[in-house]
Amino acid sequence: MAKYHLRLAHLYGNLLNTYSDLGNIIALRYYGKQMDADIAVDVISINEQFDPDKYDIALFGGGQDYEQLVVSKDLPNKKAAFQKFIDDGKPLLAICGGYQLLGKYYIGAQGEKIPGLGILPHYTLSQDHNRFIGNITIKNESNGQLYHGFENHNGMTFLGKGERPLGKVVSGHGNNGQDQTEGAIWKETYCSYFHGPILTRNGEIAKHLLLTALHHKYLEADLSQAENLVIKPTF
Amino acid sequence: MSLRSAFAEAAGRSSYWFLHTFRNGGSSLPGKLTLKLDPNILQAFSKKYDLVIVTGTNGKTLTTALSVRVLREKYDQVLTNPTGSNMEQGIVTTFITAPRPKKKGLAVLEVDEANVVKVTKYITPIAFIFTNIFRDQMDRYGEIYTTYQKILNGVKLAPKATIIANGDEQLFNGHHLPNPIIYYGFNHEHKEAFDAPANTDGLLCPKCQHILRYHMRTYANLGDYFCPNCGFKRPKLTYAVTKIDNLTPTSSTFEMDGETYRIGIGGLYNIYNALAAYALGRFLGVSQAQIKDAFESDERVFGRQEVIHIGDKEVTLILVKNPVGLNQVLDMIETDPQPFSFTFLLNANYADGIDTSWIWDGNFEKLVQHQIPQYMTGGERYKDITTRLTMAGVQKMWHEPDLTKVIAKIKQMPTKHVYILATYTAVLQLRKQLAEGGYIKGGMD
Repeated sequence: MAKYHLRLAHLYGNLLNTYSDLGNIIALRYYGKQMDADIAVDVISINEQFDPDKYDIALFGGGQDYEQLVVSKDLPNKKAAFQKFIDDGKPLLAICGGYQLLGKYYIGAQGEKIPGLGILPHYTLSQDHNRFIGNITIKNESNGQLYHGFENHNGMTFLGKGERPLGKVVSGHGNNGQDQTEGAIWKETYCSYFHGPILTRNGEIAKHLLLTALHHKYLEADLSQAENLVIKPTF
Repeated sequence: MSLRSAFAEAAGRSSYWFLHTFRNGGSSLPGKLTLKLDPNILQAFSKKYDLVIVTGTNGKTLTTALSVRVLREKYDQVLTNPTGSNMEQGIVTTFITAPRPKKKGLAVLEVDEANVVKVTKYITPIAFIFTNIFRDQMDRYGEIYTTYQKILNGVKLAPKATIIANGDEQLFNGHHLPNPIIYYGFNHEHKEAFDAPANTDGLLCPKCQHILRYHMRTYANLGDYFCPNCGFKRPKLTYAVTKIDNLTPTSSTFEMDGETYRIGIGGLYNIYNALAAYALGRFLGVSQAQIKDAFESDERVFGRQEVIHIGDKEVTLILVKNPVGLNQVLDMIETDPQPFSFTFLLNANYADGIDTSWIWDGNFEKLVQHQIPQYMTGGERYKDITTRLTMAGVQKMWHEPDLTKVIAKIKQMPTKHVYILATYTAVLQLRKQLAEGGYIKGGMD
């Protein structure tokens, strides 16, 4: 029995599951175990309630155009819950479609403008008959960490005021192929286009998300052991 | 046949003869040459053959091979294309190099999803078989809906052809088509309504976009589905697997419409292939007894999972390329009553899919519950698969990035049975080593 217990909301996990986002949950559980924390996962999908107070950490993955469109129609029902979860400073990891849907809007497969949650200030345009596909490496400029992943996206995302990128592109395309940014950080919400999945190749991000969740939930606990966890390279 | 077509065909034929005789190969080049001389060459064959097109993501090759075997019980000659020649050029090569049929012949061709329209533009088939639509390597293909649309673009040109479709696949029930449709599927159990695992692709009701539920699920999103919101549900099946008797990695015994059949290959997905071939056979008037004979008379058709003897080991080498296929292989391996060792060789070249993310959708957590005494990872991306297995709970494993050293390591494994799962180029590289070591003849197939 683990000392700490975290609850993870896998948002639209049965629709936005295309890019092997399950790997991010597997990685969180793997590192969580080393921090003496177990993780209970609930999938929260369309037509279901998202109670932000019930969860300590959340994952919002990427899907196919069609599923993403269906999810976008359900989002207004969950907007207040998303807003509270994010404003409370709880860790949220958003990948690809999830990343786009947190922003103001994105452009769908038929060229239509699809509104997102508008909680984060970025927006996403589309490329004509092109995708950014390939291996990507970025550098987190605040701590010098290198992150490795694989990108495969048509969308070009432009960050807004108050957002900083997850990293600066070392090789690959990143958010839009123009400004050398990749991903976004807003409070404790981490966004990225990375497959890999991101946490399986970049355990430092998993560690940060888990520590944030643990500190938020266990205010008085001595978490030094978890903080000292050494992440071994996997890539 | 027009003069131009005749000339193009002759040119293609002689180039095939040259390549085949002197260069030991040549499956797409003759077709390419012929197409250059006469882009409409396929038209020349439309009066000579009745055509059946087999398409879908997984199972095309074996479904085609089994269908040919079944139909040869009734037809003197059935033309088919060799493995991998499922694009336009390979199909043209198949036609121009075939012996000319005396009367109208029958052709059963495996056709790549995007190439269906390139064939139906010239030849109106009598039937289509749809196997399934799954997420494949997405850096090369598209989303499941786009893939199915590509097939439908070809079907539109043949509105009278009968579609023989997997009824357990909801996509095949979502569009209204003018074609006659026959469905096949599994009808071996019926449970209380349940949800598919969250990590399953394609769970949306095509009519009202709610999440589908199931009374029976075979694998992935295939099964006896229904929509709790609008009542959309699996269509009535014309041909069905009614019971599963026994499954091992090398054989499957099951009943279709009350009769028992045995095929010399494991894996539930291969029963779907047999079922599709059975449905086509029945549609074209082959009897159940003849189909049974076709399945059981010669097992070489199942060549993809041959057992290779390396020293005292019995090694099964299996190609894996996408998550659905991978999970089916993992399920199949688990039916081995003998202890076994496990090897995964992961490359990420273009033909393998350059994104290795899909290994995270493989249910290795389930595999780890078996007491597997030895694991090994290899290939250019051995670190990715090592991380996958480590996070699934494997404590210790061997690593061998250099595929030339894999055979020596296999010999040291502690069990007689060894399974090697490998991506496409890793299979090719390993088979080259095996051929050089005299363990197998030739290269791939």
